Amino acid sequence: MIEIKDLRFRALTIPSLMIFDGTTAVIGENGSGKTTLLRLLAGLFRPESGSVKVDGVNPVPGTTGFVDEYPDRNVLFSQVADELAAPLRFRHIPCSEVDCRVKEAAATIGFGDRLNQTMDTLSGGEHVLIALLSALITCPETLVLDEFDSHLDYDSLQLADALIAGSGARTVIRCTQNMELAARCDKIVVLHHGAVLHEGRPEEVFSELEPGCCYPLSWRARR
Amino acid sequence: MRLSLSAVEWHSGSWKFDADGVFTPGIHLISGRVGSGKTTLALLSSRLLRPDAGRVEYDGIGSRTLSFQHPEYHVTGSTLGEEAGSYGVDPSAACVRAGLAGREGEDPFRLSRGELKRFQLACILMRTWDLIILDEPFSALDCQGKLAICQSIQENRSSIVLVITHEQHILPRTDYLWEMRSGRLFGLGSLPGALSLWESAPGSVRMLREQGITPANLTRDDLMEAVCMMHG
Repeated sequence: MIEIKDLRFRALTIPSLMIFDGTTAVIGENGSGKTTLLRLLAGLFRPESGSVKVDGVNPVPGTTGFVDEYPDRNVLFSQVADELAAPLRFRHIPCSEVDCRVKEAAATIGFGDRLNQTMDTLSGGEHVLIALLSALITCPETLVLDEFDSHLDYDSLQLADALIAGSGARTVIRCTQNMELAARCDKIVVLHHGAVLHEGRPEEVFSELEPGCCYPLSWRARR
Repeated sequence: MRLSLSAVEWHSGSWKFDADGVFTPGIHLISGRVGSGKTTLALLSSRLLRPDAGRVEYDGIGSRTLSFQHPEYHVTGSTLGEEAGSYGVDPSAACVRAGLAGREGEDPFRLSRGELKRFQLACILMRTWDLIILDEPFSALDCQGKLAICQSIQENRSSIVLVITHEQHILPRTDYLWEMRSGRLFGLGSLPGALSLWESAPGSVRMLREQGITPANLTRDDLMEAVCMMHG
């Protein structure tokens, strides 16, 4: 569980917010503070005042699985195999186990025979799939995903969602502009000018946002 | 005016790109799985990449522009004002159009990714071009931003506009649909007929197809109209 109290950081002000286990979507217009909030949740920023606690402690970078919205910013190494292996090597996992887990992970997205490929030859979408696998490979309890879905086609998105669902992560927080994805989450947090405008179950939040352009089309279809 | 790709080939290791196609004025929507060659098509069509075989020919095309998938690749100025100046557009007007009025003095890298994308697209679409290639123009934009870009794209219908996208819900009125499949370009035809052939169709179109409904086109209004047909 994530608990935010009296948070202030740059333009972001959140007096109180609880994010329970399950999947939470963070939505809002461009510049509303979504990425800033996600970076605080991942421990990449420290609050200027107030607190962010994940399971009662300050989030620590490296323990939370994190995917950046800029595909290139996820890349540390030149080769796909090294990129996937890095989080395991940083934890001093034995080499034989690293090799095994890297091969297993790569196979899930059809990269089994592309481990020696260099990262700079991948497409933007392939970059974020590798970044997602790198985030998942250590089986983190908490996953923070910053709008990686905007780089993926429909089928790749289904694949990514299946990987996330099967990862065992207890808490998943994802920023998205895809309202169909948000509608499938357990909870939605709407940011507006650095503050929480709405929070709640998708039914509650989208009833507040109707008839705006972000109301999910599939929900109109089921009426 | 037309852009022609004639027996174009490009190779990267064992991966091969090949394309034959003619693009005339109007809006051409191009989709495909990740890694299928969409960005390669954008680079070849804009002549930033030279084909290994075949020809990319411009007939009557005097001006062209390419919007990169990643807006950060475009940044050359230290302020939004300088950045707008590099496109040859009025800084104040560009900021207003991008919803960033009065922020000409800000560092582009202090913007959110969505704000930067809006600004970069505003700068490009404030000028008139014969050939406009937009690689993932909707990525990172909120729904209002996507609708605004759709409007701008539709205002450029007299140009040749290539829109390469994974966008699932908010799309411009499209004249011709193309698809990249494992490195090969396929022309699917005009709408609505082409929609039934679209393998990488967005979720909204798949949902309607499953109900036996074909939207007239891909705009939000078209999709809403089709949803209404589901309810008789």
